[in-house]
Amino acid sequence: MSDNQETVKHNSSAGFSRLIVIWGTTLILIAFGLGVTLYLIERSKQSAVPTAPPPLPIAANPSDIPPPPQEVNLFLLDTTALTLVPVKTERRLHAELTKRLSQIITALIQETPPNFRNTIPRGTVLNEAYIDSQQTAYLDFSNHLTDGHIGGTTAELLTITAILKTVFDAFPEEIKQVQILIDGEEVRTLAGHLNLLQPLHLFQ
Amino acid sequence: MESGYTERNVKALSLPNRTARNIRKTVSVLFLSILAWVIAPNSPAQENSVRFIDANGETIAETPAQRQGEQLYLSVDAVRQVFDPAMTDQYNHPRKRLILKTKDQQIRLQIGHPIVGIDPSGLTHTLPSPPIIIAQQPMLPIAFFTRILPDFYNLEALYNPSLQRVQLRPKGTWTFFARAGDSVNWAIIIDPGHGGADDRGCESSTGLLEKDIVLALAKRLQRISEEQGIKVYLTRQTDTKKTHFERIQVAKRNQGQLFLSLHCNASFSPHEKGIKIYLNNPKGQLRFPSNVQSAPTGQRLKILAQANFLKQSQDFAHALQTELNFLTETPVEMTELPLIALSEAYMPAVVLELGYLSNVEDLEKLSDSKYIANVAQAIVRAFQRHISSINPPVQSTALEQEQ
Repeated sequence: MSDNQETVKHNSSAGFSRLIVIWGTTLILIAFGLGVTLYLIERSKQSAVPTAPPPLPIAANPSDIPPPPQEVNLFLLDTTALTLVPVKTERRLHAELTKRLSQIITALIQETPPNFRNTIPRGTVLNEAYIDSQQTAYLDFSNHLTDGHIGGTTAELLTITAILKTVFDAFPEEIKQVQILIDGEEVRTLAGHLNLLQPLHLFQ
Repeated sequence: MESGYTERNVKALSLPNRTARNIRKTVSVLFLSILAWVIAPNSPAQENSVRFIDANGETIAETPAQRQGEQLYLSVDAVRQVFDPAMTDQYNHPRKRLILKTKDQQIRLQIGHPIVGIDPSGLTHTLPSPPIIIAQQPMLPIAFFTRILPDFYNLEALYNPSLQRVQLRPKGTWTFFARAGDSVNWAIIIDPGHGGADDRGCESSTGLLEKDIVLALAKRLQRISEEQGIKVYLTRQTDTKKTHFERIQVAKRNQGQLFLSLHCNASFSPHEKGIKIYLNNPKGQLRFPSNVQSAPTGQRLKILAQANFLKQSQDFAHALQTELNFLTETPVEMTELPLIALSEAYMPAVVLELGYLSNVEDLEKLSDSKYIANVAQAIVRAFQRHISSINPPVQSTALEQEQ
C-alpha cells in the first residue's frame, strides 16, 4: 500500500516538473520572438528617415570660436583657515574684460575644492561687474555678503582680501582698484569694521 | 517564549551587577582623588619660573620658582636679581630666621611664620603664607615679592598669577589724577561696537554676543576711569543701534580727546586667538587709492586731518599694547587699516578687539568676569599712561611735595 502511494507521488511530481519546463521554454521563445520583431521594426524606421548632411565648416569668426581653457587663481583659505592661498582652476574665459571679471568672481563665490574654505558667505551672488575708465572695478554683490558674514575684523579683512587678491591676480594691468557694492548701493562696511566707502587696493 | 523569559531574567540580573560595577569605579576614583589631594601638599615642589617686567613690559629678570600646592616660592637670590643686587642675607639655621639687609634697613623673616618685620621702622606685615624650606634652602612666597618688597623699594606691583608675571613700576606713576585732580579736562570716548537687534556683531557658539560683552566692559571702564578722575563718555548706554555718525557726534559734543572703540573678533579658524589693536589709516593694509593731491578738497582735508592724529593714536595703541600684553600669553598685535568706526574721528582713535568669539580659549576668558575686570584695569592704566605722556605728572607731584 505504501509502495503504491510512493509511486503515485513520484509520478505526479515528475509530471509537474515536465509541465514547468514546457511552459518556461514556451515563454522564453515568445519573449525572444517579440524582441526580434521589435528590433526589426525599429531598424526599418531608422533606415526610412534620411540622414542629415554633415554640418558645413563655419565661417572663421574669431568671437564665435570657444576660447581655450585658461588657468585662474581663486584665493581661498587653506586647511588652517588662517591664510589665503591661490587655488588654480581652469576656465574658458570670455574675451570681453567685464564678462571675464564676472566669470572669475562667480567662480570665486561658487568653487570651493575639498580642503579649502571660502571666505564669501554661502548664497552670495555677483549681481553685476563693471570696469570704468579709471580702471576701477565695481563688484555688485547680493546682500548675502553682508547679512551672512560671520563678523569680526579678521574675518571681514579676509573676505575683502580674497576678493581683491583674486581680482588683481587675474587683471594686474587692467584693474587698479575695486569698489564693493551691495545690491547696487555703496555700503559703509561689510561687517561693521572696514571702510568700504572708497575703492580699495592692496598693500604692496 | 521560554528563551524570552530567560533573556529578561539575564537583563534583570545584569542591571544590579552593572550598578555595582559603576559604584566600585566611582568609589575608586573618589579614593584616588582624596589620596592625590592629601599627598599634593607634601609632594616634591614643581619647577617653575616667574617673569618680572618693568613699566614698559621689558623683562627685568626671569627667576626660577618652586610650586608647592597652590603657593609659588622664590629663592632669596630672586630678591637680588629683581630688586637690589646689593642686598645681603643671613640665615640662622637653628632658629630658622632669615634677615635681608640693605644699606640702611633690614627685613626679618622666620620660616613657618607669616609675620615680616622691617627695621628700623618697626613696621610689620603679614604674608598669606609663611616662608618655607625647600631642598634645605629658605624660600619666600610670591606675595613677599608682590606686596612687601615693592612697598619697601617704593614701587608698586601687578601680579598675573595665570601667566606668573609681575610688573613693577614706580609707586604712584599713573594714579596721580585722583589726588591732583588734573584729569578733569580729559574726556575719553568709549564706543561699545554694534548694538540693537539688527547689529549684534559676532556671536559665539554658546550664544554670547559681541554687542553685550563690549557694552558691559564699556560701563565698567567708565566707572573705574571716573574713580581715577578721568571723564568717560559712552557712545551708547543701552542695547541700541547707533550709526557711526551718531557715535562720532557723541565724541564731538563732549570734546573727546581720545576715542576707543571696543569690539570682539571672529575668524574662520577656530584656532585664531588673542587681543588685537587696529588703527585707522586710510593708507593701511587695504589702501584707499586716492592720494592726497588728487582727492576732492573735502576728502583731502579729512585725510590730512586724520594723518595729524595717527602718531597720537599709535602712542595710545602702544600704551594699550604694553598694558594688555601683561594679561595675555599671545602678544597683542597692532595693525593699520581703513576703519569705518574711526573714519570720522578727528582725535587719537583706536579699535580694540578683545578676543575671538570663534576661539574656545578666548570665549572662556570673555565669559569670565574676573578676566574682564583685569582687562578694564589694564585699559584704564593705558589711559593713565597716555595722559601722563601728554601731561607729565612730574610737575603736579613736585608741586604737591613743595606744598
